[in-house]
Amino acid sequence: MGKVKSAIITALLVAAIVVLWLFAAISCNVPGTDGVKRYNSFLSGIHLGSDLTGEAYTLLYPNGVISAKDYKLVMNDDENEDKEEYQYYEEHGGVYVDKDKFNDEELLSSVKKDAEIISKRLSQKGYSSYSVTVEDDYVIRVSVPTNFTYAAYKEYDNTSRSSSLNLISTTIQLVMVDGQISLRDNTDYDSSNSLLSIKEDFATYFKDISYYVMGGTHAVKLDLTNEGFNKLNNVLLLGDSDSKAYIYVGETNIGLQFDMGSSLENKTLYFSSEANRAQDFAILLGSVINGNVLTNRYNDTDSGASTQLIVSTPAFGEYAAIYLLAVLIVALIAAIVVPVIKYKKLGFVNALMALAYSLVIVISLLLLEIQLTVGGAFIAVLGLVLLTFTNVKVFEAVRAETKNGRTIQASVKTGYKKTLFSVLDVHILLAVISIIVALVCVGELAACGFILLIATLASYVLYWFTRFMWYVLSTPVRDKFKFCGFAREVYDDED
Amino acid sequence: MKINNLKLSSKMHLLVIISCIVIAIGLAVGTVCQFISNGFFNYSADYETYKTVTVEYEDIDFSGAGREPSKLIEDICEKAFKAENLSKINLTTGDTNTGGKLIYKFSNSTDYGKLNSAVSAINDEIKEEVSQAGGIQFSYASAHEEVAVIGGDLVLVRAAIVAATIIVVHFIYFVIRYKLTMALGALLADMHNLALYLALVALCRVPVGSAIATYAVIAVIMSAIGTSYFFDKMRGNIKDEENKKLTAFELADKSANESLKFNVIMPACLAAVSVVVFVLMAISSLSPLAVISPVICSIMSFISCAYGTAIFVPSVYPRFKVIGDNTKEKSKAKRLAK
Repeated sequence: MGKVKSAIITALLVAAIVVLWLFAAISCNVPGTDGVKRYNSFLSGIHLGSDLTGEAYTLLYPNGVISAKDYKLVMNDDENEDKEEYQYYEEHGGVYVDKDKFNDEELLSSVKKDAEIISKRLSQKGYSSYSVTVEDDYVIRVSVPTNFTYAAYKEYDNTSRSSSLNLISTTIQLVMVDGQISLRDNTDYDSSNSLLSIKEDFATYFKDISYYVMGGTHAVKLDLTNEGFNKLNNVLLLGDSDSKAYIYVGETNIGLQFDMGSSLENKTLYFSSEANRAQDFAILLGSVINGNVLTNRYNDTDSGASTQLIVSTPAFGEYAAIYLLAVLIVALIAAIVVPVIKYKKLGFVNALMALAYSLVIVISLLLLEIQLTVGGAFIAVLGLVLLTFTNVKVFEAVRAETKNGRTIQASVKTGYKKTLFSVLDVHILLAVISIIVALVCVGELAACGFILLIATLASYVLYWFTRFMWYVLSTPVRDKFKFCGFAREVYDDED
Repeated sequence: MKINNLKLSSKMHLLVIISCIVIAIGLAVGTVCQFISNGFFNYSADYETYKTVTVEYEDIDFSGAGREPSKLIEDICEKAFKAENLSKINLTTGDTNTGGKLIYKFSNSTDYGKLNSAVSAINDEIKEEVSQAGGIQFSYASAHEEVAVIGGDLVLVRAAIVAATIIVVHFIYFVIRYKLTMALGALLADMHNLALYLALVALCRVPVGSAIATYAVIAVIMSAIGTSYFFDKMRGNIKDEENKKLTAFELADKSANESLKFNVIMPACLAAVSVVVFVLMAISSLSPLAVISPVICSIMSFISCAYGTAIFVPSVYPRFKVIGDNTKEKSKAKRLAK
């Protein structure tokens, strides 16, 4: 390779890395938009876990239970019409409970059971973390990660912020739906009638209800039993062809409907919907047909209550994400500087690979929308350590070959040949492990598995790219030993 | 020829005894606590009961105070907690439709009476502040008890399944790519490092959350990387003509010496990153209690891996090799005799 070719390839690669890093790291207002439009960097577009951007939570109050604050506000307001009712409420921890329901064992155990059902429903959402707790025996507290990007967290990107909150809100509204599954003839519950006789249990019509994804289509998959298929067909054929049958859970029309007047062709039905909704519907319906039905109604809108989503700051503090980024940058600098000190200009080849690795991780997290947590960041650092140690291992193997009197070119060839299988073994093993972790685990661990897979693949590809760049960068250099920081073995017969 | 100066293979009995003692004590402490305390591990707020003090406020009129209502309330709360000698795990704040909410988290062992006294003091102080400046009216503090519902169980179960699967895959891969004795060595490393990590976490009784599962899986992954490195050196040294005269013990020592740097520096680098991350997080959250669980879990995980892979396994593996070689010799002799 000629000097010019080498310079062009090096310049192009360095320019690409620098430009991509600029896009990855710098957020700014778009010039000429008077600060209306903002460019958010790749880094600020990565979805972060609840340890870095906090969680969204809501409190679910059954009928007859109110918060201490609401109680005080009403009781201190002489004109409030609820005051008379609230005077019969009794204090229990941080809540006030209607006298009739105070210490009602049935209510207390049903709240606990409902919390378990809600927890089971949420466990199927694949959140990196979530929690369901029973507060003061009467109230259910549901917390899920906000899944904010840093831009959304700092309110630079309000569209993304409200979109994340809407998804959470929809999910929470659905997982707290109480009651049995039914088939009704109208979109409005009050003016609707059940299409099944009172003796029939609609839940028994189904073998399974699950979430289905294929080729970008998201759907709720309903598997009917043979009996259920026949019975449902009988019901549907009884109706007019212009009318519809709606699936309800309790008093909630969940938006899945059948055309009346025609029979179903398959026992497996697919109702396509937007990804989050399809998953939520499948979770709710699957839970209900398996007998996990909530006993109580929470935050009943009929009694004026509402479900309020509160976004809290992360437990690790407001600046947790910034601190984590600082540490990751320090780790990257260490992975660059140490080999440069040890291998001189050859260290720069490793530096380019370390920068390229970090770009691959950042861009993958951004494009694949993988949620980054502190654990995920550790896995990314583990990948960086793997890449650096792999390169160091090769450099040392090459150094050992040069000590046998070989030229650099011959040493590189032999060094790579000698390390190939051990590097391959580690990477294959890690790739298999990461796939298992990503597929078997849920939440944060699944995300860690996915990050490990990307890190492993990136490390292996960059291991070969190191050889290419070593060749490109060292071509114009006359003293290749000096380039690598290796001492040349001098033999008597050498010129 | 340079042979390992550490002579790890001659220290096998000592290292086995150390590992067994630590694991046994960890298991014993965990088992005793399973029956008399809150579980094998000291489960934190992720899994168990905890207490909170919440202060909800309306952000409608704070012109009189001239300060952010949350900051004013925070000062009042901190003063009240200090007076009652209460230390929080963490503080989170959040916006409601009409104002905001401050949530102070406390461990389950916190005296509920003291919390209620602090809550009364906070409410009195708020009343006083409202009467004087009128800034934080409609603010109200209350103490709560939160009982966690199976939230983290699924994570723990899946992590246990995945750790077991990784160990099996690691073993099978080594049987195919290396030798049966090396696969057994890898299996020993995984089991030893995982057991040691869990025993250390059970032993130190720090409150652990879902981080325990994450770092258990990371420990197994690091063991897989470390053993790959060690047994690759071992494989290379066995093939090397220059080492033909070396015994299994000398070979293991030589390989351990060559892989020692990698197997110690890799966990050490991650431990250093872990410490720096969590020191900064502790500063960020102004509460070391909030970050103690993940930092302890990560450090235990890295210590177990460094010790297990770099020191323990190289000391035990030569015995596996000797047994394997002897078995091979015997079967070869039998075949020849036939």
